[in-house]
Amino acid sequence: MQPDDLTRVLAPKLGENLLGVEAFEGMAGRVRFRREAALDLFRAVRDDLSFAHLSMVGGIDWVDHREVFYVAWSDSARQYVLLSTDVPATDAHVETASAVWPSANWHERETWELVDITFDHHPDLRHLLTPDGYAFHPLLRSFKIHEPEELEVKTRHV
Amino acid sequence: MSEMWINMGPQHPMTHGLWNLRVRIDGEVVLDVDPEMGYLHRGIEKISEDRHYNEVVTLMDRTCYVAGLAWEHLYILASEQALHITPPERAQYIRMTCEEFQRIGSHIMWYAAFVNDIGLMTPFLYGMRDRDLVLDLFQSFTGARMTYEYMRVGGVRNDLPPTFTDQARKVLDWLTDRFREYDQLCLGSSIFHKRCDHLGVLKANDCIAHGVTGPMLRSAGVKRDLRKDRPYARYDAVDFDVAVADGADVTARYLVRMEEMRQSIRILRQTVDWLEHHPGPVMAEHLPRWLGAPYAPVGREGYLLKRNYAKGVGFSAVEEPHGEAQAYVVNEGTEHPYRVKFRSPIFANLSAARQYLVGYRVADIPPIMGSVDPCIGEVDR
Amino acid sequence: MGGLTAAQAPPAPSPRNPTVDLQLSNELPMATQAAVPFIEIEALRAKEFIPASKEALTSLIAEQGQAKLIRPMFNWSGRNSLFPLHWGLACCAIEFAAAFGARWDAERFGVVARSSPRQADLMIVNGTVTWKVAHKLITLYEQMAEPKWVIAMGNCATGGGPFRTAYSVVPGVDKLVPVDVYIAGCPPRPEALLDGILKLEQLIRERKE
Repeated sequence: MQPDDLTRVLAPKLGENLLGVEAFEGMAGRVRFRREAALDLFRAVRDDLSFAHLSMVGGIDWVDHREVFYVAWSDSARQYVLLSTDVPATDAHVETASAVWPSANWHERETWELVDITFDHHPDLRHLLTPDGYAFHPLLRSFKIHEPEELEVKTRHV
Repeated sequence: MSEMWINMGPQHPMTHGLWNLRVRIDGEVVLDVDPEMGYLHRGIEKISEDRHYNEVVTLMDRTCYVAGLAWEHLYILASEQALHITPPERAQYIRMTCEEFQRIGSHIMWYAAFVNDIGLMTPFLYGMRDRDLVLDLFQSFTGARMTYEYMRVGGVRNDLPPTFTDQARKVLDWLTDRFREYDQLCLGSSIFHKRCDHLGVLKANDCIAHGVTGPMLRSAGVKRDLRKDRPYARYDAVDFDVAVADGADVTARYLVRMEEMRQSIRILRQTVDWLEHHPGPVMAEHLPRWLGAPYAPVGREGYLLKRNYAKGVGFSAVEEPHGEAQAYVVNEGTEHPYRVKFRSPIFANLSAARQYLVGYRVADIPPIMGSVDPCIGEVDR
Repeated sequence: MGGLTAAQAPPAPSPRNPTVDLQLSNELPMATQAAVPFIEIEALRAKEFIPASKEALTSLIAEQGQAKLIRPMFNWSGRNSLFPLHWGLACCAIEFAAAFGARWDAERFGVVARSSPRQADLMIVNGTVTWKVAHKLITLYEQMAEPKWVIAMGNCATGGGPFRTAYSVVPGVDKLVPVDVYIAGCPPRPEALLDGILKLEQLIRERKE
């Protein structure tokens, strides 16, 4: 499967919400989309392109904005596809993928607590890796790695 | 009878690590489960942002401590793609050899721990005895038993010693016989069958929906193995079969893992033969200086060099002993990776715990969870 | 018939015979000094040990009285049967398991892992301790019966190790519970763990009550 194949299927479904499909080494392609069309894209990728297996959801903090990326695998094409969308840092939320791929559940919980990206309509958005009530989002660039003594104070009183 | 929640963990013989399985039970029947993770969350993804590319390898060994070399391989593949570096062929064969030996080591560790849970004590002693032979082999060229720090961006740290091929063949011959013994101990025991058959069933559709990979997926009859489907390193050049079973239960997972070890031996015989006859460099040439020389750690002055290097994004997927592991490395033109994200196979396998535990008895939980082979270091990262 | 007469003759007292040592040490049964005869008992083989120790104890009790013997006995039996808590934190737990495997066989030192903290008297902190597990570690420590000991196995438990700068890691388990023996290594080899356990035995032997 090539980036052109992805465009051909996805462009009619998403319209202007599809920002482009780029080539990516070792993958079918990298699909950039607007977050408004997230659910449509997930359904199209799973049902029409047969990427039935969602492997990974992650977030990147680019300081001015944040990026959410999804990696899915197709058993028929034997390829991965990378889906990514940008969300503004002040209003970082995107529709959950766990309605389409149940495997997104824990990955989104992790992304929510570490990169501070909220997933709307997530069935169970709780802390997974950090303790309940942990007030920080460690994978943000603004969260600096401290010397242990400073950090002790910071983490102990959460 | 009234329902209640009980905690199995974080200190519990079943857990094989540091996590908590909260179980809602009615008498003996499991009604609901809720795994509670994060007790071993060490912030590896965050620390990696503060380290040089080769320094992250140190953390990779500790990410999955029973399959360190497989995780090194995963990270190095993604980094090389992000940094636009191609390793020499011999290094790729050495990495494959490492990964397959690591698969055997990891599966033997699983065998020792899992069969011990069922109540057979002897396999633990047999397993640890044979795993030590594999670790001795690693020790001969990395110097460590578990945390190797062996692979580097652009190759591997040092070449194999001249005695390696003979030693490796001896270990492989020994293990071939021992695996027969393992099967006799387990499959010939009625205790094993009573505690494992038809337990923890997870069908192929559920596996795919919940992101379950590795031996659990293959035990449900899905023939997916990244070494075949998306060959990395030189897996396209070796001949092996994908181990598949169709029971989707604990016994099927046992059969898949045992067959995988036999297939690993088959791969290793080929790679060891290749390594014997193809000497050559094990590090890529023309590496940027800050990546360090092959035999020395990164030089201090290398830290200070401002480099002008192409940006890039690397993605790699490796069939780790536990399943499909993935790494996503963002290179923004500095000495440190901008963002490293890992996908742990057991993370997904445990997230589906509700699917394969609900409806069984409390006493069935240890064999079922043992067949998942949890390694919490890579789940929590 | 020479062999028969030799067998019937009483054995010559050897310098390693505990009975002799115990009879010689009249002022011993205070805790610190009483340790000496018991070291001698340890050096015997099992089949010699049982009659020798029985005889030695009987004579010692007759001589010194029961009360003065309890502490040394307690010390001696405690340090030779250290039961660690069976739990695995991180990487070192695998080496901890290897120490109980066929090659190292930690059980020959009387070290038997117990799954309940109430049966354990030694906590081997074998891995990275995070803040999330910290209060659970303290609970486990408090559940263990006195006297209890802690071994910090590996660099993570000693001082945070390679994860010292991480936001979620306790930089050393001695911030949470008192530690008796630190073992360096990342992870320490099983030999190092056994050495640490033997060091702890020595520590208990020299302990002032």
